[in-house]
Amino acid sequence: MNISRSFPVFATVFAVVWAVMYVIAVEKNYALFTYHPALEEFAFLVEKPKEGPAMYWYGWMATSGIVALVAGLLACSIPERAKQRVWAGWSWTIPLGVIFVFGYLLRGFFTR
Amino acid sequence: MIVVLLIIHALLAVTLLGAITHQAISVWLPMHKTAGSFVGRMRSVPAASYVNAIVVLYLATATLGGIIYPEYRLSVRVVLQQLRLNVPNGLFELKEHFVTVGLGMLPAYWYFWHQPLAADYARTRAVLTSILAFIVWWSFLVGHILNNIRGFET
Repeated sequence: MNISRSFPVFATVFAVVWAVMYVIAVEKNYALFTYHPALEEFAFLVEKPKEGPAMYWYGWMATSGIVALVAGLLACSIPERAKQRVWAGWSWTIPLGVIFVFGYLLRGFFTR
Repeated sequence: MIVVLLIIHALLAVTLLGAITHQAISVWLPMHKTAGSFVGRMRSVPAASYVNAIVVLYLATATLGGIIYPEYRLSVRVVLQQLRLNVPNGLFELKEHFVTVGLGMLPAYWYFWHQPLAADYARTRAVLTSILAFIVWWSFLVGHILNNIRGFET
């Protein structure tokens, strides 16, 4: 595997999968772990709030990061001809789309 | 301690804001000869030279933001909810998600800006820089607004 040829594919797939997986993780609450700030405790997977709020943001990022890393590494193993056909523009179109999706999902804060 | 971290977070954010803004201006309004005016000098900076600094500053600012975030959840967000300040609360929720989306774009941003610059990726570079600039400006302004509403230990 030629790293210099694989990295643009890795980076593009990583950006796409990270963004998509993150919005799915937020919507479905697929947090790899939960943090309870009042107790300063971490818990594996999703836990309900105990004393004070529960924070899932770190867990959502961990979920997205692992999935994106695996997807990016898998994409590096596709044939060279296929790598050359991966459009670099996916690295910004999908994240930009996810930004708009979040604007839509959180519109309730601005309309109520 | 949390106030010290908040100030460092803000200082890193200001530095990042300056770097990404310079790069975005030089990408969209390039000026190739040396300029005499303030605006002209901003437009003529070598955009690629900012990349590593922007990646490091973005990571450092986001990491520090992640460290002080629990304090926000315990001390600030609760108050915003009690006062029914939905708009600032929503602005911060968007900031949280935008910054995370930006983190995932950093490897691509770094790669497409690495030297020598490939002409094929010119548009990708320009748009990646613009999206990151939007995220950084959004985050900076929202952080500033929320700090004005209720800074830590006020």
